[in-house]
Amino acid sequence: MTIFIDLYSEGNTFLHRLDPRVKIISVLLLSLLAFVLSTVYSLAALLAFIFLLLFLSRASMGRTWFALRFVLRFMALIVILWPIFDPAGTPVWAELGPVKVTEPAVWRGITSAVRVGCLACVWYILMFTTAQRDLVRALVRMGLRFDYGLTLAISLRFFPSFMATISSITDAQKARGLDFNRGGLIKRSKKHVAVLVPAVVAALRTADSLSLALQSRAYGARTDRTYMRQLKMRTFDYVALTIVTMLFIVPLTAKYLFLVHF
Amino acid sequence: MKALNMCDVTVRYPDTDRAALDEVTFEIDRGEIMLILGARGAGKSTLCMLTNGLIPHAVSCSLTGKVEIFGREVSEHTVAEHSVKVGIVFQEPENQLFCMSVEEEVAFGPENLAVERDELVDRVERALEIVGLKGYNEKPPSSLSGGQRQRLAIAAALSMQPEMLVLDEPTYALDPVGRIELYTLLADLKRKHDMTVVIAGRDAEEAADYADRVALFKRGRLVRVGTPEELLTVPDELRNIGVPPLQVSEISEAIRLKIHEFECRDITVEGLVSHAARTIENRRAAR
Repeated sequence: MTIFIDLYSEGNTFLHRLDPRVKIISVLLLSLLAFVLSTVYSLAALLAFIFLLLFLSRASMGRTWFALRFVLRFMALIVILWPIFDPAGTPVWAELGPVKVTEPAVWRGITSAVRVGCLACVWYILMFTTAQRDLVRALVRMGLRFDYGLTLAISLRFFPSFMATISSITDAQKARGLDFNRGGLIKRSKKHVAVLVPAVVAALRTADSLSLALQSRAYGARTDRTYMRQLKMRTFDYVALTIVTMLFIVPLTAKYLFLVHF
Repeated sequence: MKALNMCDVTVRYPDTDRAALDEVTFEIDRGEIMLILGARGAGKSTLCMLTNGLIPHAVSCSLTGKVEIFGREVSEHTVAEHSVKVGIVFQEPENQLFCMSVEEEVAFGPENLAVERDELVDRVERALEIVGLKGYNEKPPSSLSGGQRQRLAIAAALSMQPEMLVLDEPTYALDPVGRIELYTLLADLKRKHDMTVVIAGRDAEEAADYADRVALFKRGRLVRVGTPEELLTVPDELRNIGVPPLQVSEISEAIRLKIHEFECRDITVEGLVSHAARTIENRRAAR
């Protein structure tokens, strides 16, 4: 069973080389920018810029498609449903009983869909180009308590193992004749107890072993723990951070200070 | 000073009928490889957890008797304090490797002890070199084979620079080649780094060649302590504690049924063969 919990693709592009803190801040700024921009044209320009970055990240087509297909479906759903639930404005393009489709509503739907596309794709760039360990390391350097960072790292590390355990238990129960597809909803749900209970027991055992392993390696012994790998900002990182900050501040200032409609 | 000194030790877990360790008096010398043999429920894991203070500090149980680790009373020091003296490797490496790269895994312990960065790098590189995983620094532990994961778990313990390494059923998920590699590594640790090594297991077959002494446990009680030649050449000793005898000793036993004067106290195949050849020659000469 392939589990794409880790979307990271190894590479040596400038996006891969960027300090993970710069990437996290940039992604946050570009996400906020998607809310600052309000016209479909400016959002489309932002989406084009994000797609360019996505292309430059050289993520594999398989992973990109795996990630994008959910977003594209969601975007299509927004475009279809928005005009149905938002009938405000004129001209009216179509009317069917209480449902009224107006031109401004269609544009608002498209605008929102593009905004969602921007938000999703910009986070995908972060996931495609940043290893989980670097993400956790960056979050800890940005102020997250080490305990929480370690909890996050352990969760990410053990999630695929836990899914593999569930898969093995499911296969074992199937081999013993348990048919998960037969019967009504309640009956089928009850059958999953046969998977859930051993899976929870296995998870608790793992947690127990993990706690002993952590203590055996002096976890929590000192508050001034050191770190082997230190993140270090380089000129290249500062330049990238400045560009993204300007990209955020210029439209923000233009919109709220000079009242330019973006 | 002994590496481990236990005097009249009893460990009892809550809601259990019998003690996990029952009035055990036992010593482990510095620089020796001690093989702890016993079936399931013999008290091997409990003994392992006593050696670095997980018992009584982290595991809920009652402990009576005296346990000293390198001269320090176990209950008077924290697990972290014991961890710089005793490194422990548990049965399933999968459950003790929690970092996202090999390097982070090995660095985790010394980082917790606030070891300076330069020394940290040095310790990680040295530990990876000892276990033969140099160059694997950036790889995720999940991408390693079973044997490599076991060696990574050992490297993670070695980076704490312990004086004693304790392994609880280390060959549990290893193939025969992996087992031999592991025991060779442990023998090297003893020979080159003067490390005390404790191996707890249910199978003496490969470990017998590397152990200096063997301790036999049954249902929490220490049955016998001796050299591999003394204990492992007597199949009934091992059958008595629920552990399969060595193939060599079973063959010796089978020969003895035919040739009553045959008495082999060697645990190696080469020793058995030369002993058998000598016995046959002596019989021919006697005729």
